[in-house]
Amino acid sequence: MKRINRFKNWGWLLGLVVLASSCQFELPEAGSLPDNTPPKAAFTTSPDQDDARLITFTNTSASATDFAWDFGDGNISIDKNPTNLYPAEGSYTVTLIASDKLGVTNTLTRDIEVVVPKFYQPVIYEAGFEDGMLEGGLGDGRDSWRAPSGCREDRPLGLGGVIQITGSPVFNGDQGAKLPNDNTRAGYQQVTVEPDTDYKLTFYYTMKDDNPAGTLTVAILGGPVCDPADVAGATIESVTVNDQSNPDAYVKQALEFNSGPNTAIVIYFTNQDIEARLDDFAIEVL
Amino acid sequence: MNKNIIIVMIAAVFMLSSCGEDFLSPAPISSIGSETYYTNSTEIETGVVNMYDGIKGVNSTSSNDNHGIQVEFQVTEMRSDNTMTKSSEGEQAQFEQFAVQPTNGVVADYYRSFYNVIYRANVVLENLGAADNQADANQFEGEAKFVRAYAYFNLVRLFGPIPLTDKVIAPTDAATAYDRKSVDEVYQLIISDLLAAEAQLGATIDNAFVGRASTAAAQALLAKVYLTRGMYTEARAMCEKVMASGYSLEPNFDDVFYSERNNEIIFAIEYKGGNAATSQNFSAEWMNAVGRTSGINYVTPEATVALDNFGGTRSASYREDPGQAGKFQVTKYFPNGEDGGSNGITFSNDPTTAGNDWIILRYADVLLMHVESIMGTDPVTGDAAALASFQEVRDRAGLTTAVVGVTKQELMDERRVELAFENHRLFDLIRFGEAENVLSQFAADNGYLFSATDLLLPIPQREIGLSKGQMSQNPGY
Repeated sequence: MKRINRFKNWGWLLGLVVLASSCQFELPEAGSLPDNTPPKAAFTTSPDQDDARLITFTNTSASATDFAWDFGDGNISIDKNPTNLYPAEGSYTVTLIASDKLGVTNTLTRDIEVVVPKFYQPVIYEAGFEDGMLEGGLGDGRDSWRAPSGCREDRPLGLGGVIQITGSPVFNGDQGAKLPNDNTRAGYQQVTVEPDTDYKLTFYYTMKDDNPAGTLTVAILGGPVCDPADVAGATIESVTVNDQSNPDAYVKQALEFNSGPNTAIVIYFTNQDIEARLDDFAIEVL
Repeated sequence: MNKNIIIVMIAAVFMLSSCGEDFLSPAPISSIGSETYYTNSTEIETGVVNMYDGIKGVNSTSSNDNHGIQVEFQVTEMRSDNTMTKSSEGEQAQFEQFAVQPTNGVVADYYRSFYNVIYRANVVLENLGAADNQADANQFEGEAKFVRAYAYFNLVRLFGPIPLTDKVIAPTDAATAYDRKSVDEVYQLIISDLLAAEAQLGATIDNAFVGRASTAAAQALLAKVYLTRGMYTEARAMCEKVMASGYSLEPNFDDVFYSERNNEIIFAIEYKGGNAATSQNFSAEWMNAVGRTSGINYVTPEATVALDNFGGTRSASYREDPGQAGKFQVTKYFPNGEDGGSNGITFSNDPTTAGNDWIILRYADVLLMHVESIMGTDPVTGDAAALASFQEVRDRAGLTTAVVGVTKQELMDERRVELAFENHRLFDLIRFGEAENVLSQFAADNGYLFSATDLLLPIPQREIGLSKGQMSQNPGY
């Protein structure tokens, strides 16, 4: 009995020694688990509402706790969801290294495009007063330029009768707009714009060199108007020109304005005492 | 002992050998199973009604029931800047704080409810062969595909890539149940289902059947799907089809919600009050401690400002809680139309079994989608057709000043006040690409932490667990 016990004890001790010695070699292997959930780097980007060059990075990495960013413009960050202001539009190579606390890392390199969104380009219909410029080849060159009929009985024409079309002289194409010197006609077109945006309207004009001298006025109104009495109050910007030096030579004129709170402005032009011609309106976003 | 074992073994051998084909083949006569139930149109129609019943959800306070659309406001409206809990407590508060946990019970409830709806639709689709005639089969197929597309559309917008099946799957089919398909694949099925529904459903309006899918419902839903996918031309065509089918705005905004089956409703989930089996409890939950919670889907101060500024007569869509100053309640879905009296909690009928229908698609939504489809990616539109639709919605709210142009911001504001508390706001913000901007600001103002990963809900932890590693969680959770 005693012998057996002693033998058993020895055996137990022997087993312990074997176990201990084997532990020295195998503990790191046998006792550790593989990293079944290694990090996977991923992110999304979104531009700021006010400044499209300011990019917010949203980390969509899986199984990661620490992050290192290289934004491709020289800037770096270790935030989880950083923002970066890029110097200019363009393509940038962004690198995200996601790592976990075991030191396993995963790297994602991706090009991102920084694009400042294009502004809405307003459209002026029949801007050159040519025929057939409307949808379906329609339009007589002035259909888009008719003022709404008057809202007062004593002024059935509202802001004025429809403009005339001239064939000569013109600045471009075959036709231009003509306002005779009887002060009864006006051009009027509503244009959709973005609020709070700076625009530049350009056009070409010429006038007869008769006496008496007269003027041509182009105005931007902050919305539809039908009563001449309301024009002054609705005017955002206007320009009055009187270059009568050469009836055959068109002069370029610009008019800058800010659309203010309006989503629709009106280009309104009329003349005083002198026959005037206009051609090739254009509008650009500043 | 040994003898007994031998007898048992012999019996077992006999039993095994007797398990021939005819052992299981006699049809059960004492009960009806789904395998054998559907034999004619009447029976398939019960399956069709069952789909809508799945969306309707169970009116109960048990967390184990599928509450369907009755909890949808929690995973949509309360995750936007429109509503919140009254007392910032419970798992409902996770939504307004953008701190949703994968273990959130409401998220799991909605997920399993709508997959259950998809299952019910697939059951109908698999039994179309039993219909009495082709016309019936077409009608049922159209309805089932509409419902399936509707469910997937909600799920894909809430969860991103999701498991996708167009047939009934067995409980053991883990390969399908936990395989997250790409968003593109999900939308392919949604669009093909809705096109099929549009072609196969009845074209005439019958207001008595707004609780079931119609051609116009398929077209309106498809318009929204197209807008979500940036397919503006297709969306516009769908909107204009609905606009040509005879719907109109209710002259009085209040009647949209309290005169049910009106001519503005294109598709609604119908409830009948007074009976737990046919009623809903969300109306009670929106009151002050009348339902199970102390009050949820309360209106945020931000939403009250928007309604006051842009709402016109629609500013009556909320009120100050008569029982708690400084807190604001939704007025669109008072339980059975009762406002709760002077203290806001006194009702003559049981508010927790309310009969208010839940509107999913209505005409004003279509008109505003029409504006959106014309505007496309432009920041502003002056298109006459767009302006007319926009004006029609505003006129009804008493805002009759002529509109000469609509900006994207104005359209978003208009949708917010017209469709407030109807579970549109979150999806609108995402669709307009403004969710990150608006919700970051909202979170900063209220001391919450928002990141873009909060725009998708977590896949319920239970599904992740059941998938045994097959299903990955959404980022950020």
